[in-house]
Amino acid sequence: MMRIPFRVVFEQRGETPRRLSLLVPIASVLAALCFGAIFLLATGYSPIDTYSNMFRDGFASFNGITDTLALSTVLICTGISAAFAFQMNLYNIGGEGQLYLGLIGGAWAGIALGDHLPTLIMVPIVLLCGALAGAAWIFVPALVRSRLGTSEIVSTLLLTYIAASLIKHVIYTPGSFFRNPNTSFPQGRMVADSASLDSFGSSRLYPTFFVALIIAGALYWVVRRTEFGYRIKVISDSPRAAHYAGINARRTTMWVMLISGALSGLAGAMLIVGPYGKIEPSIITLGYGYAGIVVAALARNNLGLIIVSGILFSGLRVGGNNLQVTTSTPIHIGVMLQGAILLFALGGEAFRRYHIHVVRTHVAPAKKALS
Amino acid sequence: MRKTHIKGFALAAAAVFGLLACGSSSSSSDTTAAAAPVTTDAAADYSMLKVAVVYIGVPDDKGWTYQHEQGILALEAELGITVKRVTNVPEGDEGEAIMEGLAAEGYNLIFATSFGYGAPMARVAVKHPEGCFEWATGAKFLLTKDAGGEFATFGDVPANLGTYFGAAEEARYLSGIAAGKASKSGKLGYVAAFPIPEVIRGINAFTLGAQSVNPAATVQVSWTKTWFGPDTEKQAAESLLAAGADVLAMHQDTTATGLAADAKGAKWVGYSSDVSEAAPNAWLTAPTWNWGPYYIKTAKSVAGGTCPADEYYGSMADGMVTLGSFGSSVDADTQALIATKAAAIIDGSFAPFQGPVMDQDGKEVVAAGAKPELLDLLGMSYFVKGVIGSPKG
Repeated sequence: MMRIPFRVVFEQRGETPRRLSLLVPIASVLAALCFGAIFLLATGYSPIDTYSNMFRDGFASFNGITDTLALSTVLICTGISAAFAFQMNLYNIGGEGQLYLGLIGGAWAGIALGDHLPTLIMVPIVLLCGALAGAAWIFVPALVRSRLGTSEIVSTLLLTYIAASLIKHVIYTPGSFFRNPNTSFPQGRMVADSASLDSFGSSRLYPTFFVALIIAGALYWVVRRTEFGYRIKVISDSPRAAHYAGINARRTTMWVMLISGALSGLAGAMLIVGPYGKIEPSIITLGYGYAGIVVAALARNNLGLIIVSGILFSGLRVGGNNLQVTTSTPIHIGVMLQGAILLFALGGEAFRRYHIHVVRTHVAPAKKALS
Repeated sequence: MRKTHIKGFALAAAAVFGLLACGSSSSSSDTTAAAAPVTTDAAADYSMLKVAVVYIGVPDDKGWTYQHEQGILALEAELGITVKRVTNVPEGDEGEAIMEGLAAEGYNLIFATSFGYGAPMARVAVKHPEGCFEWATGAKFLLTKDAGGEFATFGDVPANLGTYFGAAEEARYLSGIAAGKASKSGKLGYVAAFPIPEVIRGINAFTLGAQSVNPAATVQVSWTKTWFGPDTEKQAAESLLAAGADVLAMHQDTTATGLAADAKGAKWVGYSSDVSEAAPNAWLTAPTWNWGPYYIKTAKSVAGGTCPADEYYGSMADGMVTLGSFGSSVDADTQALIATKAAAIIDGSFAPFQGPVMDQDGKEVVAAGAKPELLDLLGMSYFVKGVIGSPKG
């Protein structure tokens, strides 16, 4: 048998060099673009034209940048929802379902309470109800994870399918509270005027964008500067050390997962006070909750960087959507790039966490193997 | 460390599946080169016309979008123009951005082929009064505040927005005749997507057609709550067959119902596309759509300076609704009977919901000799006598 004269050694880094923290995500995006370029070339499209079109339609036109920021409003929320849990090695991948519950919670508040209260009070209530509904949806996975160690990956993911059925149920069941009573067409019931915001000018960008920024900033501060944030860090680095330090890991697990669910629920409620104003069943085809996982991975769960990666990823999606309009490039290129970015971002993790080097193995004189 | 890696992988896999799911699956067929003009009107000038079509899926789905693609191909051939296709367009905000992009690129006639494009399209129509916007399967009153839209009154709905759809119930009724004749047990099954008026109307028309040749025929309904779900459709079909149905009809986008019927030696009435080759032994016929004439008429009207902004409801008379080819088990007598009924529908002497029509409880919903108003048809929410199941889903 021939022996390969070298081997690749993965040596865990104690501390990640600062330059790598920034370099790896940038390199991941570039690598994904190069990867996409291979397919573009193979199918007869110019990568340079395609990417410059995507950039123009995603960032460098009025509609492009406002649509990008509008989409990023939701993706920043689902992104911090994912990242906040991931940083404690809690893999809440059910943000999608928690977002659906946010739609239901937000729409309930907007319909039931909307006529009685002014916008200034009503909009925060809708957002709060959406967040609470999202937190409620992750309550059982959080409980069994913190008490029994049941895998939250499986429980949160499976609950997403139930949440999707719930959305269909409240819209397609005649007489449902959330269904418009004035028509036999299955439509969501509009929330009260006081529960919806106006977009800026002729754009599709809503003031909720700034709420997303503030929340991302606030959580960044919580993680970096508070005792709660310190506990998260200790538990994620070494659960045993946390135990000896007297940190109640169960309670922290519970809180981190509930906050994560609330953030995805908030994203759903933002769709209610913003562009939709009702439960729109087609939202379950958009995958904003799943996209949050990519946004978090791209930012390596750094809550400060989520804003950047959320806007970047939104721009790619908006620009990718428009590729079909301005060129004849198929929409699948945009979707493929989004997937490629995730894979390269996760692959890039290896370079950040490990010092990778190639070692020549001493080629020893071949010994006859004893059989 | 190992545990983390496994989780990381599961996470990546989940996210990728999520992306695939939201980006839809099958491959895109790119803009087909325009066919050579066949009957281009020498006098007509279509150079100002820029037509785009917004698809919910891909043109080669052999179902809903495929039928629209056939219409668009006919439009290209007739006018000698190239139509811009945009595929896999999400409903909601992102769809709105795409339609606005099309209008900004100078497309002045835009067809949108899904119900969920209505509100976004109306918003773009307001911003682009120079364009003409056509919403398939839509209904303008849904854009008013009362019905859950954003325009205060019907009069505020933009005047450059039209809707188009057709009386599929006419062909459903005729396919019911074929099914009623083919059934030995008198028990028919119907795999249906969602309990909405369009689907309910189809089930009722099919039932009335079957009862016209077999008064004792019953139609059992199984709701799938999905337009496109081969596995769910198959399960629903198998449960109906297990309950004794020997003919299955459907309101779905895949051929799963036909394959399930074929496996049990039962018969099948398809929908939307004429795809007898999927299960030739089971195939009876199918109500299908022919969008070409409407697309051609609308494009010519826009070229002439008029945007058709009415709510167009096509029929067998104008050819928007048709009945597909017959399978070998539909005998000549049945075919002749169907042809007679079809002629009566086309000349207006007969309508599928011509009274008397009773609902499930035996209450008269359409008086003897009367024909229901279009709005009653569009909002139909009851099942007729002989349907087994609930119209509430």
